[in-house]
Amino acid sequence: MNLIDCLKNNAERNPTKIGFIDEERSLTFKEMYEEVQKFSENVSKSVLRSTQVVSLISENSTSFVIAYLGIINSGRVVHLTPTNISLTNLARQTSSTGSGLILCPKVTKKLKEWNSSHYNYSAVPFSELAELTRGEKKDLGKIRRQIVAYLIYTSGTTGEPKGVPVSHDMVEFTTKNIIDVLGYSETDVDVIPLPLYHSFGLGCLHTSIFAGSTVVLLKNADNLENILESVKKYNATSLAAVPATLTKFLKLDRKILDDCLQGLRLIITNSTSIPKNTVKGIKDILKGGNLATYYGLTEASRSTFMIFNEDSNLHESVGKPAPGVNIKIDDEHKGESEFGEILVKGKNVIKQYWNDKKADRSIEDEWLRTGDVGYLDDDGYLFLKGRNDEVINVGGEKIIPHDIEQVVRQIPGVEDSAAFGIPHEVFGQTIKLVVKKAANSDLDKLVILTHCMKNLEKFKIPSKIEFVDSIPKNEYGKVKRSMLK
Amino acid sequence: MVKEIFFEVFPTLAENNFGWEKEQKDYDNWDSFAQLNLITFAEAKFSIEFSLEESIEIKSARELVERINSHLK
Repeated sequence: MNLIDCLKNNAERNPTKIGFIDEERSLTFKEMYEEVQKFSENVSKSVLRSTQVVSLISENSTSFVIAYLGIINSGRVVHLTPTNISLTNLARQTSSTGSGLILCPKVTKKLKEWNSSHYNYSAVPFSELAELTRGEKKDLGKIRRQIVAYLIYTSGTTGEPKGVPVSHDMVEFTTKNIIDVLGYSETDVDVIPLPLYHSFGLGCLHTSIFAGSTVVLLKNADNLENILESVKKYNATSLAAVPATLTKFLKLDRKILDDCLQGLRLIITNSTSIPKNTVKGIKDILKGGNLATYYGLTEASRSTFMIFNEDSNLHESVGKPAPGVNIKIDDEHKGESEFGEILVKGKNVIKQYWNDKKADRSIEDEWLRTGDVGYLDDDGYLFLKGRNDEVINVGGEKIIPHDIEQVVRQIPGVEDSAAFGIPHEVFGQTIKLVVKKAANSDLDKLVILTHCMKNLEKFKIPSKIEFVDSIPKNEYGKVKRSMLK
Repeated sequence: MVKEIFFEVFPTLAENNFGWEKEQKDYDNWDSFAQLNLITFAEAKFSIEFSLEESIEIKSARELVERINSHLK
């Protein structure tokens, strides 16, 4: 069953149930299904039959959902782009996808610039789609549904952007796993403040559609007050948030947190290791509810799941492989270190990248080389240690930045830190550490070095320390080390 | 202050085993990583920066003091 079938099913079984809520309106399942049908007809009337990909640039809203499902229902592939994409990157991506149309809620200043430039296809607001006609009329029309549902360009925290085509089969496989493992049902009310143009947020939307639950879409993942108010207002049962958001929650008034979050049965977070105190603090607030995480990439969504138990000492693990998914560590190239590159195989894994033979080399015999490094413990729990290309090699000793950062964050007065390799004539690389001090902290470098000497091997001691105002991170809270170097 | 650095970098070093003239070869665990740690501590403590050549040449506590002094003049 694909997304459209699920929506239709929801509309037939629960036509008057509110299925979709954003910050301005709400739609029943029936209303959403009708809007999607209308939108897909307009897409079909507006683009050539040969147009297989339509780009979508939109922040979270019910209109996003209508456009996303409408494009799919017209038989086409949705190319999802971040709202903050640069025009250069947009040009590169649309050229790579062969997209024939860019749809957006409104033409922003940036998109006006796009429309006035030399690019062949314009950004069109949803409201003008119905009036749009182009090409020869005989060539217009709905086409047979593509194998691919959506396309997202990903570069992780480094590297060249790669087009990741995600098929309807992958969506179904992954979403059923999410529902089975995390127990979603149509009685859930799911708050999603994460951008839907990324795999984490989009997977949560798919889950709500497959489960027939109600989804509450928020535009700003950094507006903690709005998230908390929405959870309370809609009697939400699940919330999706990145670990950094959960850590920030714990700095707010405990009474407010209890008041807003206690009714949740689940908080789902993702892919980076979560500070021990955050796990403990959130579990304490949730009482009977669960805190869960997963490991996945756009190329291999939800490859593991982890539900944190209070008694468990596994807070740094991202869990065990999802049903039907296999994970192994590349032992061949790991040398003497305990960790190696993580490989994933399963129906959640892409078969190939979008027109990118070079990137396809990372898929061998259906095993995806993730570029992440980690290890599996004796019980089969996966532990992430960082990115393969983030490993620092100091005189032959391989060091994962996470190991240093974890120790440095224990120092009172450290709010955040990031370690990375810098060139060194003798050692090849040495370690540079950047530290963001907590407000009013008078922390100095010697305190950090002394703490590191006591808690780290000598080859892991940073050779340079710099205090910074902020540490650049991506939407998921992963450090953008390439920007620090 | 330099003596303190030595006790930070060599935590098993006993007070009576420290010597200003004692050389790198006389320490069991003064390897290239320890050398890097000594330099890093000294740079942080005195807010100075050694050149690579200076970093390599230092072979005793005395030499480290001399190098630091040359930067502080």
